[in-house]
Amino acid sequence: MISTFIRHELKAFWRSKNTGKSIAVRVVMIFLILYLFGCILLAGIGMDKILEIAFPNDDLVKSFCGIVLIYFLFDLFMRLQLQELPTLRVQPYLHLPIKRNTLVGYLAITAVFSMFNLWPFLLFLPFIFKIIAPDSGIIVALAFVVAIVGISVFNNYLALYLKRKSNLNGWVFLITAAVLILIVIADFWWHFYSLHNISYAFFGRLLTMPILAIIPALLGIVMYYFNFLYLKQNLYLETLTARKVKIYKSNTDIPFLSRFGTIGDLAANEIKLVFRNKRSRSSLIIGLFFMFYGLIFYTNKSLGQGWYLFAGMYMTGAFVVNYGQFMFGWQASHFDGILVSKITFSDFVKAKYLLFTTVSVISFVLTIPYVYFGWHVLLVHFVMCVWNIGVTTTIVLFFANRNFKRIDLSKSGTMNWEGVGASQLLLTLPLILTPYIIYTPFAVFKHPDIGLALLAATGFIAILTRNYWIKQLEADYYSKRYRIAEGFRNK
Amino acid sequence: MIEIKNLKKIYGNVTVVDIPQLSIAKGESVGLVGNNGAGKTTLFRMILDLILPESGEITSNGEIVAGHEHWKAYTASYLDEGFLIEYLTPEEYLYFIGGLHQQSRAQVDETLTALGDFFNGEILNRGKYIRDLSKGNQCKVGVASCLLQNPQLLMLDEPFANIDPSTQFRLKNMLKDANKSKGVTTIVSSHDLNHITDVCDRILLMEKGVIIKDIATSSSTLSELEDYFGVGQTVGATPVVKIDEEENH
Repeated sequence: MISTFIRHELKAFWRSKNTGKSIAVRVVMIFLILYLFGCILLAGIGMDKILEIAFPNDDLVKSFCGIVLIYFLFDLFMRLQLQELPTLRVQPYLHLPIKRNTLVGYLAITAVFSMFNLWPFLLFLPFIFKIIAPDSGIIVALAFVVAIVGISVFNNYLALYLKRKSNLNGWVFLITAAVLILIVIADFWWHFYSLHNISYAFFGRLLTMPILAIIPALLGIVMYYFNFLYLKQNLYLETLTARKVKIYKSNTDIPFLSRFGTIGDLAANEIKLVFRNKRSRSSLIIGLFFMFYGLIFYTNKSLGQGWYLFAGMYMTGAFVVNYGQFMFGWQASHFDGILVSKITFSDFVKAKYLLFTTVSVISFVLTIPYVYFGWHVLLVHFVMCVWNIGVTTTIVLFFANRNFKRIDLSKSGTMNWEGVGASQLLLTLPLILTPYIIYTPFAVFKHPDIGLALLAATGFIAILTRNYWIKQLEADYYSKRYRIAEGFRNK
Repeated sequence: MIEIKNLKKIYGNVTVVDIPQLSIAKGESVGLVGNNGAGKTTLFRMILDLILPESGEITSNGEIVAGHEHWKAYTASYLDEGFLIEYLTPEEYLYFIGGLHQQSRAQVDETLTALGDFFNGEILNRGKYIRDLSKGNQCKVGVASCLLQNPQLLMLDEPFANIDPSTQFRLKNMLKDANKSKGVTTIVSSHDLNHITDVCDRILLMEKGVIIKDIATSSSTLSELEDYFGVGQTVGATPVVKIDEEENH
């Protein structure tokens, strides 16, 4: 039975539309994952050097023993954020004559096959075999491995349990996060205790008494069994689905937009789309994180104004790029409805412009505190904001006409490759390069401000001639609309 | 109202719709029946310019549908949930649709009050997004948005499929009323032969993309359709009699 499940699972993976059909996407995906693992492995191999720099006064093994527990605290926090619940996949089997224990066992076991469970091994195994094994012998090294396996398994199932609980009650997640943050603050700010010492107290003892490794191993087994029992008692659709408890959804008005008539209505709908769906919300949140780009670029004196352009463009335009690259795929599930209702394409596109303009202006206002790094920074932001409103939006919409991939709004954004295709990978290049095409020649000949002025002028001209661009987009759209609609209908 | 000439749609090498000629006059109520894969939805989609036919053309009020948008002003349709904006509440969606037709909120509210029975208290002010409604209730929202637009042409694809019996009867009355007293041209598809012969004055029977029967509804229409769909299942008395004989022995 288990082998049948695994076969179905593999089929689900390879036949899913999310797996990204085009080879380019798969290659990039594999490359990114390998790169990530490569980085972790590198950190693992270089662990002794890193520890020497971080704790120059301590013994190497002692500082290693000190960080293991701190890592696992961080690991738990990350799992809570990112690890996916292996959930609804059992739904089609629930009504069939299959034993509950088989189903639950399968669910519980497959939860181990998560990328997160590879991390601690990549990170710690090299050190264990490089430093601890020669020093203290193979038995101690194995004890360390067993302890790390145990805590990983424990973390894995604890995170899943907490995630399942928080799906039923949102407070669970908040309380867990608060407890984790309190544990960290109590150590690093208030100095009530030292996690470093606690971690050493256990792992340091492991050096002399390897048998103690049995404690984390037992913890792992107990957590697994606990999870197994919980799943068995709650093998019902309501508890398995990742759907949050329903709260009353109220109607929302956005008064600022209502003065724009149909265009405003469409933009208001899209704002609701962004806020009411997981994946689009995360693209907005990522946009907010880009707001901190300035702290990286402006505090580093070796980076010149050329980099300011990049920072300014991303800070005022992160949403335009992050959200816009999947357009109109966000609306795929009701694209037929848009096509048959009394909406002209020019209104449809003008609503996009209105949305982008509003968000860019708000982003610009949010970046005003960067004036701390000089007025020039603010000027660059303003110019790039104008550039984004004028040029970037039009490029994004040009590529939107070439996007035939639908997006399932209900799925979360992390590691979600749905809707990613060649057009998304191609899109970023012209977006980043075009401002430099104008700017670089002047910067090379020591007149960067003329380059900046030209960028601003281009942006303004693009805004003033917007109706012309809308006509071009419209003509382009009419030649592609059937392909777009057909692509979106393909679930 | 609708004129179709030499319409052909081919997927791969299968012709899914092939209609040499079809005209639907203003004020007609047309029912579309046929088994799965007969091409009903594809025909709907072509009339709504959602997919492009391989050849032929469709005109609505004398204007070619493909590439034009005037027909959108007087055509209302609901084919599936893909026509609804799933992350809005029903109210937000209906106000939005009303707004597209220059209706104020008060006007929309007025129409919705008249639909109170049809909604059966399950749609408005329930604090749910459309995506959280059941399929039947989503269908109600779709139908309501159609009526809200005061259309001259109304197109519904299997509207009876997911709604409860009471709503089915209300919907039938609403369709008849729209057609008879407001002169709305209606095109409705359904697998329910009773409903469709009740609501529509003209029945088009499709098989493998071809309209094989075009009949004005009369008292014999229902049994004629039942004969067609009951292929090979002669609902005769013979098997019943046989069982009776066995039981008697």
